[in-house]
Amino acid sequence: MTDTKTTTRQEPILKIRNLTTRFRTDRGIVTAIDDVSFDVYPGETLGIVGESGCGKTVTSKSIMRLLPEHITIIDEKSSMEFEGINLATTSNGQMRKVRGNRIAMIFQEPMTSLNPVFTVGWQIDEALKYHTKLSRSQRRERSIEMLRLVEIPNPEQRINEYPHQLSGGMRQRVMIAMALCCEPDVLIADEPTTALDVTIQAQILDLMNGLKEKLDTAIILITHDLGVVAQVCDRVQVMYAGRVIESASVYDLFHTPRHPYTKALLESIPKAAKTRVKSARLPAIEGIVPSLWELPKGCRFQDRCSIATDHCIELEPDLITDENNRSVRCHTPITVNNAPVRENA
Amino acid sequence: MIKKFFKSRGVRKFLRSKMAIASLGVISVYALVALVVFAGAISLDDVTNRVGVERMPGFLQQPSRELRLQAVDLRLKAMESVARRGADSTPEEQRRMLNELSLFERQVPDEMLFDEYSTLVVSARQAYDNTGDAQLEVEDLADELVAISEELHEMKSEGASAEDISALKDEQKQMQVELASIMPELDSLIDIVEAKMLQIQPIPKGMSGTIYKLRLSLGTDAKGASIAMKGLYSVKIAFQIGLIVSLISVFLGSFLGAAAAFYGGWVDNAVMWLVSTLSSIPYLVLMAVLIVAFRGTIFDDAQKPGLALVPVYTAFCLTFWIGTCRVVRGEVMKIKELEYVQAATSIGFGKSYILIKHIIPNTLHIMFINFSLGFIGAIKSEVILSFLGLGVKGQPSWGIMIAHAKDDVSSFFFWEVLTATLFMFGLVLAFNIVSDALQDAFDPKHV
Ligand SMILES: Nc1ncnc2c1ncn2[C@@H]1O[C@H](COP(=O)(O)OP(=O)(O)O)[C@@H](O)[C@H]1O
Ligand SMILES: [Mg+2]
Repeated sequence: MTDTKTTTRQEPILKIRNLTTRFRTDRGIVTAIDDVSFDVYPGETLGIVGESGCGKTVTSKSIMRLLPEHITIIDEKSSMEFEGINLATTSNGQMRKVRGNRIAMIFQEPMTSLNPVFTVGWQIDEALKYHTKLSRSQRRERSIEMLRLVEIPNPEQRINEYPHQLSGGMRQRVMIAMALCCEPDVLIADEPTTALDVTIQAQILDLMNGLKEKLDTAIILITHDLGVVAQVCDRVQVMYAGRVIESASVYDLFHTPRHPYTKALLESIPKAAKTRVKSARLPAIEGIVPSLWELPKGCRFQDRCSIATDHCIELEPDLITDENNRSVRCHTPITVNNAPVRENA
Repeated sequence: MIKKFFKSRGVRKFLRSKMAIASLGVISVYALVALVVFAGAISLDDVTNRVGVERMPGFLQQPSRELRLQAVDLRLKAMESVARRGADSTPEEQRRMLNELSLFERQVPDEMLFDEYSTLVVSARQAYDNTGDAQLEVEDLADELVAISEELHEMKSEGASAEDISALKDEQKQMQVELASIMPELDSLIDIVEAKMLQIQPIPKGMSGTIYKLRLSLGTDAKGASIAMKGLYSVKIAFQIGLIVSLISVFLGSFLGAAAAFYGGWVDNAVMWLVSTLSSIPYLVLMAVLIVAFRGTIFDDAQKPGLALVPVYTAFCLTFWIGTCRVVRGEVMKIKELEYVQAATSIGFGKSYILIKHIIPNTLHIMFINFSLGFIGAIKSEVILSFLGLGVKGQPSWGIMIAHAKDDVSSFFFWEVLTATLFMFGLVLAFNIVSDALQDAFDPKHV
């Protein structure tokens, strides 16, 4: 599927290396994400999955530098390279030029992600005014065009409406329109469909898929829902307790998960009825995610892992990348014995 | 934004409350009065110059005989003095003197000749003298009645015989009857004098007559000035202080509160230090300090009443912004974590732009409520300060009225206190209802 692309791939547009984000809290300093590295290539969709609290939002907000300044520490060894600048250390002024214009973001909660006191049109217009030199009427045209692009009916009328007059799905579409209006290179979508009901969710995902192709924007799609990943992502990386534990193309990950956690995650998604005996319960993953305050010495998944050994308790595994461009953080990864034949996409 | 504001759920909810609408109506009437006064319809002369005898009661109460006689006597003396001094003057001089006699709209008619005037004054004086006998008789009878009732009291306590007591009681009854028969006689004599006075200085017909009656409608104060005019004039002072103080303090409070919450760090520390320092100083103390500080400057001059209000504004603004600041700070703490603020940051806007364009408009409802509360607070505090002699100078205000009337109250002359209190009560009540309704309509907890 994406593998052919991977080999002939251009340079990554965003290169995250050793991203480590800590928070100053009343109890002391806590490391929310630890040594996260990944690349984002132009035009691809990278999924980041993991249970809630594993650090997905912190990762995305670290990239955008949206975390509250006075309590956030981004470790010195972290680097986030985007078009020759390091987002971790660049000036606020430079960052403002990147935000919105080059890297845009949409949020989980459509109910609060638009300002309630301004019209939809005003808010899109404001972004255009800030990043482009378009005239007033051009901006208006572009706003309507963007709303049309995200499939909002009657954009000429909707543009004058306030967020409270729109449904959740509509608002999320407006958010997408706002994020894409300056044609960013990277769009970070933090659980964009979690707050929406299933049909709307599918529509929004379809929309994002379509837009990605039309605008050639790279998307980082953050979700806790592997179903969503399967639907739209090219590559995916799984996070657990602030660490990346596995990353692979979607095809590989779904067919041959190598980390026990990934495997357990996959088993816990509902499949189509015929592949599963009726009334069989979905296996949930036993146990709970360790608190960031009491991380074990060894592997962070040890408590919930069925195949953990003494070695796992003693020493945390490194993230090992193999020749197929798959990475896994496990001492005893599930072996890919009968590697599936890859059909060409 | 304005359009959206009027469409919003809060505003619709607010407009549904009938009490709030009625109160808004009351406030607009007050505001109109304030505007009219501001435009110059009621001057300082209107509220300081004499319109009649001192402590004349208002429309509900008949003035007593003594007061009527006293009023007539006072006017007559002034008129006689003019008649005497003007006898040998030129007609222009005479006219000027007559004009000086005027009680606002009540003037000696232009067409009346000086001789005519003098004759009328003489006949009025005669009519006044005619009341003299009746007056004396009433006085004597009243004195005797007092003496008898004292005697009766004494006899009762000494245990005098029943016959003596009943004899005295008969005598008392007889005198009362006599007094009752003289009273109407005296009244009609006073009516005659008053009619003569009206001939000299008639109450004009039409609009100016109505205005004159309005001046007297709520009585006169200890200097004979119109209480109604003072009450109305004070509406302007109340609005002036209320508006200036609440506008400045709401602006200051919400700006500082929002900045403190949004920027955090040293900005927050500095603002909160100011808040806790200033809130520990009662505005009375602050006012006293300011008065000392402003002593001898142009802000301490009763001749320039407008400037003399500056210390009042300063003291109120310095203390009133604190409440708004606290609430807005809390609200912005909440808002800044909302996703639309993060979204605005992710679009690339700068911090100050987000604060001003995206966050402060979302605290507008708090500003409205605080504006209303500040307005009430300023009016009430003005009354207290002025009562203590620390507030308004050189012009009337409700506080000054109450302060001046405190001696009158002990002699049962309540018109000035009542007027000031009711005027203030109406405005404060209306504002209270409005701010309650605002709170109900906009407080998210009530939705
Ligand atoms: N401002 C903060 N202060 C302290 N800890 C935080 C803060 N924000 C997030 N965290 C911690 O970081 C971890 C990751 O959070 P997050 O990235 O929001 O999870 P998710 O994957 O569900 O998006 C959580 O354990 C959370 O408690
Ligand atoms: Mg999250």
